[in-house]
Amino acid sequence: MEKILDLFNSELKVVNVGLELFSDELKVQRVKVVHVVWQPLPRLEKEYEDILSKIL
Amino acid sequence: MLSLTIVKNVVKVNYYRDSVQLLHLSQQARQIDGIIDAAVVMATSTNKEMLASLNLLAQEGKVATSNDMIIALSANSTDAIDSGVRKIEELFTMSDQTREIRYRSVNEAVRSLPGANLALISTPGDHARELVLSALDNGLNVHLFSDHVPQHVELEIKEYARSKGLLIMGPGAGSAIIRGKAVGFANAVHRGNVGIVAAAGTGLQEVSVLVNDVGLGVSEALGAGGGDVKEEIGGISVLQEIEVLERDQETQIIVVVSKPPDQPVRTKILDYVCSTAVKPIVACFLGSEDYEVPIEGRGRVRLTRTLHGAVREIIKLTNSTCDPKLLAMDPTSLQSVAEQNWKNLVQSQRYLRGLFTGGTLAYEALVILDGLVGDVHSNSPLKKWLKLPNAFASYKDSIIDLGEEEFTAGRPHPMIDPTLRNMRLLTEARDPEVALIMMDVMLGYGSNPDPAGIMIDSIRKAQQLSKDSGRVLPILAHVCGTDQDPQKRANQEAKLLDVGVSLFPTNALMVAAAALIARRGEIRLPLERFYEEYLNEA
Repeated sequence: MEKILDLFNSELKVVNVGLELFSDELKVQRVKVVHVVWQPLPRLEKEYEDILSKIL
Repeated sequence: MLSLTIVKNVVKVNYYRDSVQLLHLSQQARQIDGIIDAAVVMATSTNKEMLASLNLLAQEGKVATSNDMIIALSANSTDAIDSGVRKIEELFTMSDQTREIRYRSVNEAVRSLPGANLALISTPGDHARELVLSALDNGLNVHLFSDHVPQHVELEIKEYARSKGLLIMGPGAGSAIIRGKAVGFANAVHRGNVGIVAAAGTGLQEVSVLVNDVGLGVSEALGAGGGDVKEEIGGISVLQEIEVLERDQETQIIVVVSKPPDQPVRTKILDYVCSTAVKPIVACFLGSEDYEVPIEGRGRVRLTRTLHGAVREIIKLTNSTCDPKLLAMDPTSLQSVAEQNWKNLVQSQRYLRGLFTGGTLAYEALVILDGLVGDVHSNSPLKKWLKLPNAFASYKDSIIDLGEEEFTAGRPHPMIDPTLRNMRLLTEARDPEVALIMMDVMLGYGSNPDPAGIMIDSIRKAQQLSKDSGRVLPILAHVCGTDQDPQKRANQEAKLLDVGVSLFPTNALMVAAAALIARRGEIRLPLERFYEEYLNEA
């Protein structure tokens, strides 16, 4: 519970993952924020997928 | 000589940009010389359907998969198309180069920001689990905006968070206000002593805005996500949040907002707030069902059916001296506004239509209309048999929640990009049975920078379409926002008033007016009783 209360009692510092818009909006409010670029895992060629499914 | 329109799709395989970045790129692409129309989207089925409806889908795009991105253009020459593609590629490079340092993992980001205490995660829901676990392992609380997180994953991550003394707001939590800062979709409101726990995103927004309007303020406002009050999850986040606000010194009164929780969760919440908590609490479980407050909580714990009613009870519990007229249009003035709107309708105009971007506001509308007019159809209805078979076509009285999956897969939320609502407004205006259209206009951080302005053309066109068919079309709106918001409520309201839109201070009052208009004043409940039972205006 103390770690949750810390949100109200310390400076808000945010790690943003996903929509970069939210990082921008927090910066406008002078919140310290760092952004993590997220991308889905690339889709494999079916040939490699089949091989992986056999060996994993 | 006839000039042919050429449509080209360039598919970038396994290439990802978030939907808001792509919206901005699409807007810039349309400005390129020689381009007739353009869109840059992830190749989801919804987006491919949208491209097809805009005549922008070519064979290459048809076979792209949801991990791929489509650059779709139309022009009158291949030279213009080729030049357009080159310029869009340049826009990608430019947008990447102008960005500050960005990180590839939560671990890396946390190392660069000592004292980080919150992770805000908005990836597609099926990819959220690993990111949430990584954030929790780094000691961060989590605001999980992503939806469509499987229920077993929600339970797993919430139990893990609780075991570490951390909080997960969400999944599907749109809003929070922490130390006066808006996180996700949230409004700039005065700080004060009202703490909000909301398993309903735009419910948090409406309550925080109305609290601001009556001269009170918000200490902290915490989202929980609608799934939290399901029996399988057991209200883990809601209960943690009530407990933490009980301990927060700034918070003097707590309001809990949610769609009706599953019965065991409702019992758990009410037992906790009545037996363990000591602060005054307003529980707004949207709906018409009456619950009993356990004896230990009577007087201190109040129940309400609507968001408007919740703020009314907050005023009573705080013995606030704020001007109640800020929230109220009394029954006589509401009736009078409605009458002004219905007196010029023709006989065929019998049904109301609601086009909502806020899911909780759409739900509040359904609750109120269930009491005032009876069955209402929706893509997200109160009763299963009232579900519209096709969300893109209304039937009789209909409320559309434009934030639902069928409208948002691979697209920005309609609070950011109101294109689909603007298109739908015209569709509704063509229907001779429509008596009125009502809409929410959501302001605040995260939302479109000018949500009223971007609707004006469509509102004018809708009014003209009706006029051309010998009808008038009343349009009603509730602007959910404050003058401190980046969009400034007064500016937004002025734009809507300028094109003849009727404005209401709360969503509940707009919906009641819509019922009165569509039924020419003949609603199921006497208006005074509605005010008493739904708005807590006794």
